[in-house]
This record gives sequence, C-alpha cells and structure tokens, in this order.
Amino acid sequence: MDTVFDLRHVSYTYLRQFEALKDVNLTIRAGEQVAIIGANGSGKSTLLSILDALCFPSSGAFFAFGTLVKEEEFDTLEDNEFGRFFRKKVGFLFQNPDVQLFSSTVFDEIAFGPLQLDMPPEEINQRIEDVIEMLGIEALRDRAPHMLSGGEKKKVCIASILATNPDVLLLDEPTSGLDPRSQMWFIDLIQALAQSGKTIVTTTHDLDIIEKISTRAIVVGEDHTMKADEDSTSVMNDLDLLMSANLIHGHMHRHGRLMHEHLHAHSREHAHEHGPEVVLREGK
Amino acid sequence: MIPEWMREVSTDRCPTCTASGSTKKNFVQKTISGIFSFFEECLINDGIAKRNGLLQSLDARIKLISFIALIFAVSMTHDIRLLLLVYLLTLVFAYVSQVELLFFLKRVWVFVPIFAGIIMIPILFNVFMAGDTLIPLVTLGPGAYLGPFPLPETIAITRQGTMVALTFILRVATCVSATVLFFLTTPRDLIFKSLRALKIPKVYVLTLDMCYRYIFLLIGMVRDFFTAKKSRTIRPLPLREEQKWVGGRIGYTLKKSLDLSEKVHGAMISRGFNGDIKLMHTYSIHKRDYVACISVFAFSVLLVVASRNLIPM
Repeated sequence: MDTVFDLRHVSYTYLRQFEALKDVNLTIRAGEQVAIIGANGSGKSTLLSILDALCFPSSGAFFAFGTLVKEEEFDTLEDNEFGRFFRKKVGFLFQNPDVQLFSSTVFDEIAFGPLQLDMPPEEINQRIEDVIEMLGIEALRDRAPHMLSGGEKKKVCIASILATNPDVLLLDEPTSGLDPRSQMWFIDLIQALAQSGKTIVTTTHDLDIIEKISTRAIVVGEDHTMKADEDSTSVMNDLDLLMSANLIHGHMHRHGRLMHEHLHAHSREHAHEHGPEVVLREGK
Repeated sequence: MIPEWMREVSTDRCPTCTASGSTKKNFVQKTISGIFSFFEECLINDGIAKRNGLLQSLDARIKLISFIALIFAVSMTHDIRLLLLVYLLTLVFAYVSQVELLFFLKRVWVFVPIFAGIIMIPILFNVFMAGDTLIPLVTLGPGAYLGPFPLPETIAITRQGTMVALTFILRVATCVSATVLFFLTTPRDLIFKSLRALKIPKVYVLTLDMCYRYIFLLIGMVRDFFTAKKSRTIRPLPLREEQKWVGGRIGYTLKKSLDLSEKVHGAMISRGFNGDIKLMHTYSIHKRDYVACISVFAFSVLLVVASRNLIPM
C-alpha cells in the first residue's frame, strides 16, 4: 500500500507560544480509513490542516505522496505542479460549511473544482449532475448556498469536494450539527466511498461513529501528543485510554430508586448500555 | 449510489515532486493573516496588562486622563529636546511596567514611519519650504519652472525642513508611545470602561467593546474563507476570477455581519436588555493614583510652559 501522508516528529505552535501538536509521528497509507479522535482543543483539527497543507509544522517534517511539503510551494501566486497535484488528490471538508461555500449558487459551488481540471464542459456538466443526483440535492441546484439549512450546506460542501474526485478525503467533524437521519446518511456515504478505495481521514469526538467510519483510530491527548494509534475496535474498548483523553467520563445517575455509575460519552446524551461494569446502589 | 468516475482511484505519482516553491507570495492571504495575527497578539498582550508593573498598578481612568493630558501637552510642544525627554520617559515607564523594550519599540515604530514619516517627506525640500541648504541635490539654474510654479536654483534638503520633520516625527512617536503604553498596561475591558470617566455615553462604550470582539470574529471568518478556497484551488485562477471572488466575499461578509448583529441584538434582548445599558465595574482609587495624576498634570503644564520659552532652557 502506498504511503499517502507521513509525519515525522511534527509539532505545531500558535503565535510562538501555544502548542497545538507535540512530536506527532504518523503514517497514513492509501485506502485507509482513519479516525482522529480527541477532546476539544487537543489539536486534531490542526493535525488535519497540516495534512491538507493549510498550515505547516513548526518543527518536524511532513511528506505527502512521498514528497516533502514546504510552505513556499503552497503559499505562492504562481502555478505549481506539486501544489496542483496535491490539491487534485486531497479534498478537505471544513467543520463550518459557511467558510467553505463561496459561490453564488449551489451549481457554481460544485462546478468550482471541476472547472479547474481543464475538463471538457460536457464532462464537467455530467460530473455536476452525477454528484447532485448522488447526494439528492436536485432541489438546491439554483439556490444560494448561504440560504440553506445546516444539513443542506454540509451536503453541498461534500458535493463540491467529490466533484473533483479526490483520492484522499479529510473530514473535519463531518457529523457535528447534523440531525440523526443526516448523520446516518453521512456515515453510509463515507462507507460507500471507503469501499470504492478512497483514503478517508476523519476528526471527531463522536465515539458512536468511530467504528462505522474507520478501521484505525488515532487518539490525540489533551497534552497534544498522540496517545494511541491502533485499530478502531481496540481503541474503543480501551476505556482507560478514552478516559485519559477526556473522551468519556464517570457519570452517576438515578433510575427510580437505584443509583448507578458508568462511563459516559457526551456525544449522545445518555446513550449507553447497562453492562456488567455498571455499579448499582440503593438511592435515598 | 456512487457514479463510476468516482470509483476511480488514481495511482499517478507527481511528475515533478522535487518542485521548489516560488518567491511570489500570495499577498492577499498574507495581509489577512497579518491582520489576524495582530489582533491575536493584541489579545495575548492582555498578559502584559496583568503583570506586576508600575502602570498596571494604577487605576485605568487615572491612566486615561493622565495620558490624554500628556498627549495634549506634547502636541503643544515645539522644542525637540523636550520631546526627546518625554519620549525617553515613555521608554522608562515601559521598562518599569515590565513591557519588553524591543517589542514596545517595534509596536511604536511600525506605525510612525507610515503616518508621520511619509507625509513629512516634502517639507524636507526647499521646493515647498524655503530654508538654509543642508544637502544640495540638483542644480537647475536660474529661472527654472515646474508648470506655473517657480523652482529654486538648487533643489536641496533644508536645515529648517529637517528640524520641522524631526520634531513632527518625534511628537508623533511620543504620542503613539503613550497610547501604546496605555493599551498594553490596561486590561481590554477596562480600556473601554474607563472612557466613562470622560463622560462618553454608555452606548458608545458598549458598542466599542462589542466591535472589538466581533471584528476579531469576522477577521477570523475572512481568514477561513481564504483557507477553504486555498484547499479547493487546484491551479491559480485568472485575476478577474480572483477579483470576482474577493468582491463576492466582501458582500457576503457584510451580509453575515448584519445577520450577526441582528442575532446578537436578539440574544441581548432575550437576556433582558431593554435599551438601558448597564455597565458594572468596581473601581478602587488609591493614594498612588492621585499622586500619579497630579504629577502627570504638573509635568504636562511645565512642558507647555517650557516649550513657550517661559522657562529658560
């Protein structure tokens, strides 16, 4: 399997004093589905931004597709072959759809990427139609993106990325702010894209979706270092690890006269199973 | 569900993977990032306001009134020696207030050449202000004209012009230093609240405070627009397209800011705001505040008097 991203001792510091990432070593191979999980402020979004060459390590080295990524290659007005290759290969879904949608209509938004690929107009049109149909957003085609609902905006964002057919998808909290049906739709979409061979890296702190969207999970701790890099099931079963990374916490509540205590994630309020580890005791 | 073309995963390698970067920077994005960093640094500088220094120990209102008095006196001072003295005093006060001198000098002298230096360039030459020649530049000979305007025989930098320019630049630098010192050593919320000491209506104080917070938010949003576009830009767009995009984003930001202002107002109303602005802060004035205020006022009066040659120097 080809290496897509390779981070070697990468650290990132904001304003020369706030550490966001500390000594991260990470390799992502083609076709992998990786979840990056961590509490708020742990640095997972910064890590994703580095993978998309939107910000650059303060120290350490970042290789993409076997090439050392340098700031000067991406921060230039001039056309650059590696920059073009990279942007064609990698698509980034921002957490906030409002910053990503900048065209006057949904159609223009989706056309933005394919237009830069020098494709024949009929092929571009076909791609746009295919993506619109695939995501079921036919009714939104001529609408202004900023007038859409949160879920619709998210769909248009993903459509605008998929229209260029990137091999690597970087998704920053893709299910945040979505209603349950839209969340399920999104998970199905990620699974279908994964089956077609896409490399998908997702940041999230929604523990319920980790095993559905990834086979490998990376935990970023509150000290901005990597705490684990294992298969998703092992990570999800390691309650001590999740607890230390502030992804779950001990929680006590009452069922009638019985008090019970269990580990609890805040991604879904009180969505938990009462397994054997639950401590039950008589309430007052 | 997924179209056939989307199932294709390219195994192509980059043809020129050793490509080196160009030196032509994306100046629009750099500018936005620069503005954002400046605002971020301003927020961080709140740390300086919390240090245990001389100016930090004074009441914000006293500091505001004192600095205004000082700036007023400096504006009325024409003697370059006095201006130099006040400027050096601002450096001393920065030092005893635990403000790093290099950082302070940089913060002041970034603006001074822009606002004062450039506009004083013409006055250096005898074309605009007659005076004794200091550095001769071009000899044109007698009877030279620029259109209807007569020119001197020799275009030169004059001694008087240089002195006027230096005095003006030093005056601006001193005023900017005093202002920067006030902003650095006073917590942001107190900067705005202290304006009430000057009887500035509460509505302006509240509006200024909110502006500061939301300008930061909107600049962050604009920076994110550029970042998101960067991530989707496969090759540079033609200039006209870029201009169109920037125009569209300006419009969107305006729309968003109006929308935000309505929502913020709604949030204020939902929390009981009825148009009557109430600001709360418990001030505590100590003996040192009175001493500082009286000293600065006395020094300011002395400065004006000395500058008017009422005190021989």
